[in-house]
Amino acid sequence: MSEEKNVVSRRSVLKGAAIGGAALAAGGALTTESASAATRLKGSTVKWTTRGGGATGDKIAKAVNDAFTKKTGAKVVAQQVNSDDFQNNFAQIMQGSPDDAFGWMAGYRSNHFGEMGLLADLTREINRLKSTLPTAAIKGSTSPVSKKPYILPTTYYPWALHYRKSMVKDLGMNPESINTWDDFVKLMTLTQKKGLVGYSLGAKGGWEAMGTFDILNARVNGYKYHIDLLNGRAKWTDARTKETFKYFAQLIPFMNDNVMDISWDGMRDLLLQKKTGAMMMGSWFANDFKAKSQADYDDLWVVPFPQINPKFGRDTIDAPLDGISVAANGKNVDGGKALAEFWASPEGIKEAVKAGDTNIYVSKSFDTSSYDAFNKQKLAVLASAQNIMFFLDRDARGDFAGPVVGPAIQNFIKKPADINKILENVQAQWDALPKN
Amino acid sequence: MKTAATIKKNRSRRSLSKTDRFTLATFVGIPTLLQIILLWVPAVVTVILSFTYWNGIRLKDIQWAGIQNYKNIFFNNPLFYQALKNNGIWLAFFVLIATPLGILLAYQIDRGIKGHAFYESIYYLPVVLSLAVIGIIWNFMLQPGGFVQGLMGRDIGNAISIYGDPKINTWVILGIASWRHIGYIMLLYLSGLKSVDPALKEAAAIDGATEWQIFRKIILPTMQPVNIIIVVITLIESLRAFDLVYIIYGSPTIFPLLNLLVFQNFAGQGISMKGAAYAVILLLLCIVPIITYLRISFKEDLK
Repeated sequence: MSEEKNVVSRRSVLKGAAIGGAALAAGGALTTESASAATRLKGSTVKWTTRGGGATGDKIAKAVNDAFTKKTGAKVVAQQVNSDDFQNNFAQIMQGSPDDAFGWMAGYRSNHFGEMGLLADLTREINRLKSTLPTAAIKGSTSPVSKKPYILPTTYYPWALHYRKSMVKDLGMNPESINTWDDFVKLMTLTQKKGLVGYSLGAKGGWEAMGTFDILNARVNGYKYHIDLLNGRAKWTDARTKETFKYFAQLIPFMNDNVMDISWDGMRDLLLQKKTGAMMMGSWFANDFKAKSQADYDDLWVVPFPQINPKFGRDTIDAPLDGISVAANGKNVDGGKALAEFWASPEGIKEAVKAGDTNIYVSKSFDTSSYDAFNKQKLAVLASAQNIMFFLDRDARGDFAGPVVGPAIQNFIKKPADINKILENVQAQWDALPKN
Repeated sequence: MKTAATIKKNRSRRSLSKTDRFTLATFVGIPTLLQIILLWVPAVVTVILSFTYWNGIRLKDIQWAGIQNYKNIFFNNPLFYQALKNNGIWLAFFVLIATPLGILLAYQIDRGIKGHAFYESIYYLPVVLSLAVIGIIWNFMLQPGGFVQGLMGRDIGNAISIYGDPKINTWVILGIASWRHIGYIMLLYLSGLKSVDPALKEAAAIDGATEWQIFRKIILPTMQPVNIIIVVITLIESLRAFDLVYIIYGSPTIFPLLNLLVFQNFAGQGISMKGAAYAVILLLLCIVPIITYLRISFKEDLK
């Protein structure tokens, strides 16, 4: 179809298309390193933490860790932790006795803790994997301050508009052509007329609503303005920021009544139970649809958020990058680095996919030809954007994103009329932050 | 060899033998040392840190901030005033409703009203559970998709907004917290009531005093030590409320409390010394009334 041809021709470096040749070359480089790793690590123990993921997460970890053990002779002791708890206590965990390697997130979270000396420098490992990773992924994993990478990039996913094809067809609209803001409002209005939720949002966790704000700001004011805003070069009290919130306010009448009571899993359940029309979220929850039934998974569809300002089209997307990091205070840093490199290598990725991982990998060795329709659509959504952001709480500093912006958006949803006061307050809190 | 007279003299002067001194040193000294190391030193360090900028990781990153953190809290953070209000409502509710109910319950149970064993068990049960567990239980019951919502026939889409609705969530949370607090107070008061001499009550009853007069003029004064404990506990439990609300919400936006603000700024990815400043404010709010109250009570005792 013409849609796919466009996707292939506009594919940016991040998506990559080379398989085969690159993988062979990369495989060769890795064999020599892993041979020496095998002798070095034989008999030692490496500790691994899986960040959330339930039973599937454990299964994937077991497959990859077992393959690592077979290769190097090092024993891997794995555990799974609750993702939110791990994130919230990260500084304390890293300063205590952390596991050697674990799944983590690129952006502020790996850069900041790496610059503070809590994450190991992975320059050597990323250089060995250079031929399998797109330049943009390597750049996204490197700290702009110290110029060192503290994470090996593995997976990413789009934040986009999800809905059920069957529900959209029932309303007489075409699922593949929700393109402009007016199309989108029409979808929400018709859904609401049927007595269902037009736009589901669960803001209890404080971060879910950031996805909506990010994309609205990028659509209304453009990628550059959004990044400037998050880094203090543009003002929250600016008329342009207020314009974004005007669009946000238009969504509120279509939202569910209990926005403050549910978090992202509530949003997912609303879509799963066919109670909502559209939902703005990252695509990681698709595994849950598949677990429920193949029919539900086949009904799921995703498109980029509609265009608002024709100047910017749909050129920007939130596509958070995840990867593997190594704790600087772990007992076996050497083993941790080797394990991290294995997880991010084509060999490790193959094991993960075999064990049931449906995430999209940045690695060029990743074979996407056997992808199902939903995953192919995910790739298309990612490829359609020229500018990639990571997400508000990965693009902005930690003592601003969570404690200030999150509550500000929540307060706005509770009382949209207070927006001017809220924005003045956010700006004042930004100004009061220590800047060094 | 000590004579009887010398021993008696020593005892009357109450000087301490070597064994006594050693016992004193161990049993008072070690806990005091632990108290200083684990309580006082961190407390003083927290107060000092509240005047700095720091992200909690490397010591060399500590910068002096003067009163900037406090200025930020008082002028830039509306959540702070909402938290003060919520803690105030919590305190008022406990002082006017929960604690008196606990005392009343203890008094009636002590008098042996019908079914007192039943009351004891249902009010004592939540005391045994930690507030975190209670939070998990009630979150499960009342959240969208929860048990009680299901009983009312409402699923996630049309569930009644309980924790998210600012008009009713305060009362729901205070109700759940009181459920535990009433039992706690009841327990404390019951143990104190057991030590009140029944002869006093009988004498007053013979003289023609009503139940209320007996309670006010005889029980309450006799229970002075327990009263002090009850007042201090009520004040502290309201100001340091945290576990229940944290389990339900995770973040301070919807139902701010001072301790939640401390946590938000000390844990997680946004560590800043604003957390220390909040902690110092909380400390002052607790200590000043308590010290005042204790001074007044003990002054009366000394008289």
